[in-house]
Amino acid sequence: MTSIHTDVQIGICGSAGDGTIAVGDILKRAMARAGYRVIAFDEYPAEIRGFGKCVARTRITTEPVYSMKSETDILVSLNDAHAIPHVAEVRDFGAVVYDLAPISMVDEGWHISGHLNPGQLPYGLAMREMSEQATGSSRSRNMVALGFIAGLYQLPRPAFIDAIVAKFQTKAAAVTESNVAAFNAGYDNGAGTYRFDKVEVGPPARRTRLQDSTMMTGNAAVVRGCLDAGIETFFGYPITPATSIMERLSVEMPKHGARLLQTEDEISAISATIGAGFAGARAATATSGPGFALMSEMMGLGVMAEVPAVVFVSQRGGPSTGMPTKTEQSDLNIAVFGGHGDARRIVLAPTNVEGCWRCAGRAFEMAEAYQTPVVVLLDLYLSNRYETVAFPKKNPFLRDMCKKPARDKGDATYRRFELTVDGVSPRAIPGEAHGIHTATGLEHNEFGRPNDLSDMHFQMTEKRHEKLNAALKHPDITIYKRFGDSGEVEVGLLAWGSTFGEALEAMLLARDEGIRCAAMKVVMLSPLPVKPIKRFLKDCKEVIVPELNYEGQFANLVSGTLGRSVIRLNRVTGKPMAVAEILDAIRSAAGKRKLRKSVA
Amino acid sequence: MHRVIIGNGIAGSHAAAVLRERDPGSQITIISAGALLFYNRYELPDVFRGRCDWVDYLVYPPDYYQDNNIKLRRKSLVTEVNTGKRTLTLAHRELVSYDQLLVATGGSAYVPERLLDSIPLMHNFNNFRVAMTVRNALPDGGVVIMLGGDAMGLDLARTLIKTRHKVILIAGDRTFWPHGITLEDRPRYLRGLEKMHLQVIDEKQVDRIEQSNGKGPARRVVFSDGSDISGDVVMPFYGLTPSVDFMSHAGIDIERGILVDPQLQTTRNDIWAAGDVCQIWSPEHNAYRFYYGWKNVKMMGDVAARNMTGDDVSFTTTVDEALQIKADGTIYSPFWEHD
Repeated sequence: MTSIHTDVQIGICGSAGDGTIAVGDILKRAMARAGYRVIAFDEYPAEIRGFGKCVARTRITTEPVYSMKSETDILVSLNDAHAIPHVAEVRDFGAVVYDLAPISMVDEGWHISGHLNPGQLPYGLAMREMSEQATGSSRSRNMVALGFIAGLYQLPRPAFIDAIVAKFQTKAAAVTESNVAAFNAGYDNGAGTYRFDKVEVGPPARRTRLQDSTMMTGNAAVVRGCLDAGIETFFGYPITPATSIMERLSVEMPKHGARLLQTEDEISAISATIGAGFAGARAATATSGPGFALMSEMMGLGVMAEVPAVVFVSQRGGPSTGMPTKTEQSDLNIAVFGGHGDARRIVLAPTNVEGCWRCAGRAFEMAEAYQTPVVVLLDLYLSNRYETVAFPKKNPFLRDMCKKPARDKGDATYRRFELTVDGVSPRAIPGEAHGIHTATGLEHNEFGRPNDLSDMHFQMTEKRHEKLNAALKHPDITIYKRFGDSGEVEVGLLAWGSTFGEALEAMLLARDEGIRCAAMKVVMLSPLPVKPIKRFLKDCKEVIVPELNYEGQFANLVSGTLGRSVIRLNRVTGKPMAVAEILDAIRSAAGKRKLRKSVA
Repeated sequence: MHRVIIGNGIAGSHAAAVLRERDPGSQITIISAGALLFYNRYELPDVFRGRCDWVDYLVYPPDYYQDNNIKLRRKSLVTEVNTGKRTLTLAHRELVSYDQLLVATGGSAYVPERLLDSIPLMHNFNNFRVAMTVRNALPDGGVVIMLGGDAMGLDLARTLIKTRHKVILIAGDRTFWPHGITLEDRPRYLRGLEKMHLQVIDEKQVDRIEQSNGKGPARRVVFSDGSDISGDVVMPFYGLTPSVDFMSHAGIDIERGILVDPQLQTTRNDIWAAGDVCQIWSPEHNAYRFYYGWKNVKMMGDVAARNMTGDDVSFTTTVDEALQIKADGTIYSPFWEHD
């Protein structure tokens, strides 16, 4: 028997309060539990309940994939008004599941069944009635719908029951029972429904290997990275989409003897983080664009006083309050350049969930090794995206990267900001014998004492910049990587952050079409790995830089640094970039070259 | 102008094509209770030849509907027609308005009242899903017990026999429906069926159908004299009942089917009917009568669409409706023909 390569994306769309995100969560956990690879991303409104649209999208595969798909295979509508605009996302011979018995009459054109394209297959289900029959209430119609698709595609029922039980374990037993009953009612109905669509879900592949994996969001991976790196203290102020980092840490840190404090604002959070770093603790904060803007002054202090600190910045639509629940990559400029003075810092931008863990852990090492604030730049799509990931059994993060002062020297000779070959000075922790020194925001001499002489300012500025170059060779972290065809290629994709997954998928599809192409992910945005990027650009006849901002902030960084023009692919829709859009750009770039060639 | 067609069979789909051709700017909506696009039901016996993908039965590809700006609403059951307000009520509680309406809902399988309790134990054959269900229920070389034996059933029987299944026909007064067979001719036609390798049981009345216990065929047909036979599948083929229930309060004349004049117009000037659902006034017979078969029904769709767009044409059949006996003694029905 030939095994089916499963690649199915399920979208569940409803209104806030319909339980859309909840069933999406159960779906992805159940499928991961069953041994499939899962990538999931939820769209939700800024309002708590009763207003906006929620969409829970889950991509279930047996082979490795790197992004969400542009097309949905199965769409479940829990609210037709919200789901109707998403019908167009469903591919031909895909399925649309909806409630065929709304509670009241709907106006002409407001039922989703009237909006299906001829190639899509309708599955009307009396969700409300089935929920009432199974549980005595219509509230569990989301579970009926989930059960229906699970039954329709013969997904493993026990994995779902386990996920439902886990989801409601903190609630009364009756809540779990009614949700299971509603799920089972839907499952039985789905299992008895004849399927006309062309959506195939085969058994999970390489089950044993995936059993060792876990499914988590980017923010959860950041938390795990922090804990594995031995975080000792965290200060934060809530802001979407970074809040869940603090929420999870508040639960986990006390178990490890570490401390967390919610401060009164972001300025306090970064100030306390730098203070803790000065005191020798592994310290971090997490925020989003508006919060990071408030932190910019203290980032300067961290750079000037050479204090280790880790700042997680999860980008969202901006500027100002912007679009708190929509994704964007428009804080690259503030992360790399934001602040006053020549304040170079390390900026890491992971491209997937596993990368969130690795960058979080390495960020603590780097902050300590190079004595400077390190920004880990995430975005909402990455922070909230679920992926199945497998972590190494051995914790790879080093606990102490501090360059210590020599013990045989006395107070008078200890130079906290000594001008060394690599720019990194021996660092004493307050209270350490023979380590008395001054840390200040003023320009200073090697002892830390205020000094604004021209030569001193130049030397110290140079020291603070040059010491970061060593980060480009920091061990066991991928700061850039090339994929695809080697050597000269027609089209190269240069991407960063969460958009790299879409870029990689588009590149692989383009190769399938016979276009020679490659993609490079750049994880370290500052200092920029100039040499490998330069080599890559030299290999590429055309270079596309896809990113979720209007200005082309990474394209500007690359063009400005390397003087090479690139094709900018910028989108600010609040959504991840579609693979199809990048693929079209690749085709177009490759096509233009062919046209030029034939004209010549 | 919003023209709504209820029914996605030959009559409705052909009418939509003609309407689009004659009035490119109008809004056309086909409302269908089924999940699929228009497909050729006459070819369904091919599932026993291994043609098991519904896409292979499509008359038009999905793009056809978008290219021709024909809106097809599937899984939408019309429960009521309000002719005063010119609205339809769909089962999912949505109102749809129309300016002109064509009813082309066809018919559903007729089952005698004495057998209604046995319906769950019988297999229909009127759409792709149930055709596949029969295929899956029938083992290689399995036995089909066919009740009644109307023209559609006999067409299926031809394929079943060619695909090495056994067909037992329980003949009765609906055998050969809709062909009218005289009592004198009946034995000759039944012999024709035997020549086609059907096993014919005549002059016995089915009392009930039971699920077999244990091994062997899944169904047992019990006759009123107490005797019984066993088969893997039991299929009723007693002809059709027009699907008109949803029109019962519409204020148009209905007998068994919707009564229409030769122009296929009902007693309302904004509603037409075509296909197996309508009884057409025949001046020749001085009565309302049904016309069956692909050619007739397609012609009705054509006539209705023309008259809805201002023409004045009458339906006349071109089909020779007589059941034929071929040179080899087997029978042939003109209703088996299709495009």
